[in-house]
This record gives sequence, C-alpha cells and structure tokens, in this order.
Amino acid sequence: MSGDGFAKLHVMVADDHPHARKILVAILRTIGVRRITEVDDGAHALEAFKFSPADIVFTDLRMAGVDGFELIRFLRDERANDSCYVPIIVVSAQTSLTAINQARNLGATEFIGKPLTATAVIQRLRVCIENPRPFIRSKHFFGPDRRRRNIDTLIEERRAV
Amino acid sequence: MSGAKYQVITPPNTLKAKVGASLKLLDGNAVARAEEALAAMSQEFEAWIEDDVGRLTVAWEVYIALTQRTPDDLGGIFSVAHDLKGLGATYNFPLVTRLAGSLCKLIEPDGQRRDAPVTLVGAHVDAIRAAVRDKIKTDSHPVGRVLAEELEARVGALAG
Repeated sequence: MSGDGFAKLHVMVADDHPHARKILVAILRTIGVRRITEVDDGAHALEAFKFSPADIVFTDLRMAGVDGFELIRFLRDERANDSCYVPIIVVSAQTSLTAINQARNLGATEFIGKPLTATAVIQRLRVCIENPRPFIRSKHFFGPDRRRRNIDTLIEERRAV
Repeated sequence: MSGAKYQVITPPNTLKAKVGASLKLLDGNAVARAEEALAAMSQEFEAWIEDDVGRLTVAWEVYIALTQRTPDDLGGIFSVAHDLKGLGATYNFPLVTRLAGSLCKLIEPDGQRRDAPVTLVGAHVDAIRAAVRDKIKTDSHPVGRVLAEELEARVGALAG
C-alpha cells in the first residue's frame, strides 16, 4: 500500500555508488515515491536541479568532482537557487562529528549515517515533511535552525558504525 | 530596532501540502514494507558485495605494483573501503562494515595515512576478502571477531 501523495513528490538521489542509489530508491519506491532523479555526482545533481528542482534531495558527501558539501553550498545559495529551502538529507559513511557539523553548517537538514536503514530514511523523511525546522539567515549562515537537532540519534548512529 | 543579528524564516510547507493525508502512511508498516523490499534484494547484495570486493582487490593490486608509493596512492583503496564501510551492513555483512571502517581509519586522508604500514593495509584487504569469500557476515563468528579486534587494536596502537 502506498499513498498517492508521495507520487507527487520529486526526490533527487545523489550518490556516486550505483548500488547505494538503488537501495535508497528501493526504499523510496515502497512508500509510493515515483519521480526520482538519480545522479552520480554533485555536478550532475546541480545540472538536474537547475533544470527541474526536486522537493527533497538525498546526497552522499564523498563524491568525485563536485562533492556533497559543494552541492549543499549551492542549494542553500539564495542568489543562485530559487529553491533554497529544499530539504537536504545527507546520507554518508562519513560519520565523524567534523563531517556532520560541516554539513550542518552549510545548511543540511538531516543526516543519516551509512549503513543505511529503512527506519532512518522513513524517520528523517517524516521529520522533513511533518515538522520542518525554521530557517535562519545571518551574516555567515543560511539554513535550517541548527539548535534543534536530535544529537542522541546522531551519536547512536556513530556508535553503531 | 531589535538589533537582531539573524532572521528567522518559516518557509511554506510545500511538502506537507503535496503529500497531504498520505503522510499517515509513514508509520511502522512503511518501515516493514521497506525492509521487505530490501530483503527481496538480498540475492543481489551478494553479487554487489563481490563487485565491491573485486574493486578493492584491483585497487590493492595497483597499489602494491607501484615501485615508489606515496600516501596519496592509497586514495583508490580508501575510496572502495569507504564504500564498503557504508554498504557492508546493508549487504548483510556487518563484519565487512567493521573491517572496512578500521581500514578507513588507518588510511583516511586527514588521519595517519602517511604512517600506515603496507602490511597492515594488506591485512585489512585480506580480511575483507576472506569474510566475503567464506560468508563470515558478523562478528559473532569467532574468527571474524578475533580478526576485527586484532586489526582495530593495531590501528589503534598506531594512532597512539
């Protein structure tokens, strides 16, 4: 069973590993997401996003060329991107606090540490839709409010890796 | 004048508007369905992990064939190890995630890569290959556990 509402969503999946993309796409399809743009690096993600902005972006961090950090930077650039509020869910095996904080400071919305689980994907998706956080614009930051984060979840996931 | 140095913005929730009542379907059943879908892919996972271990073997062989090695030459091995760290458990090989995680720690670009002994890198590669070849999937297997603990201890000792 899946909801028609999810069929209206356009989701982008950026990961240089084809199997990692297939796994995430398989999870998204079970909840009814039909329109999924798969890209294998940040440059293709930017190109595809400019042509047709997605409603949600899942991105790996470590990709050749334009990596996930650069992709987040572009997506949160208000001058360059009209869809700068797009939820960005990072999916990465880079689970150090440094990497997590760097992604958050660039404006990532949620973080999922690999190995990927269905629970983590669905939980983060639900948070993005049901309880989106406000955005903060300051001299040095533009992105979702960093004060509200589930640090316990992040730490638990880092321990599990 | 408030003097606030930041602005709080509440963007319109376009996602909720699109998804509508379907949101309630993101429940425990949704997780179960997604897990079923992943379970259905498990036969593919075996082939996929073998592909990735094949890439690791190639990267290792390229590295040891070099007559003069620099730390940067470990980039190819690190790249595959990073993939295996992220995907091993999803492929139903959590032991591979653990072993690859240890290898990543040993040769990560911003870490102790410069001091990584070739033999220790090779021991990680061999352990990952053996785990997949012999289908040792978790560290509940005595050999798998000892291997992982030994490699992690050696990496830890190197870090000091």
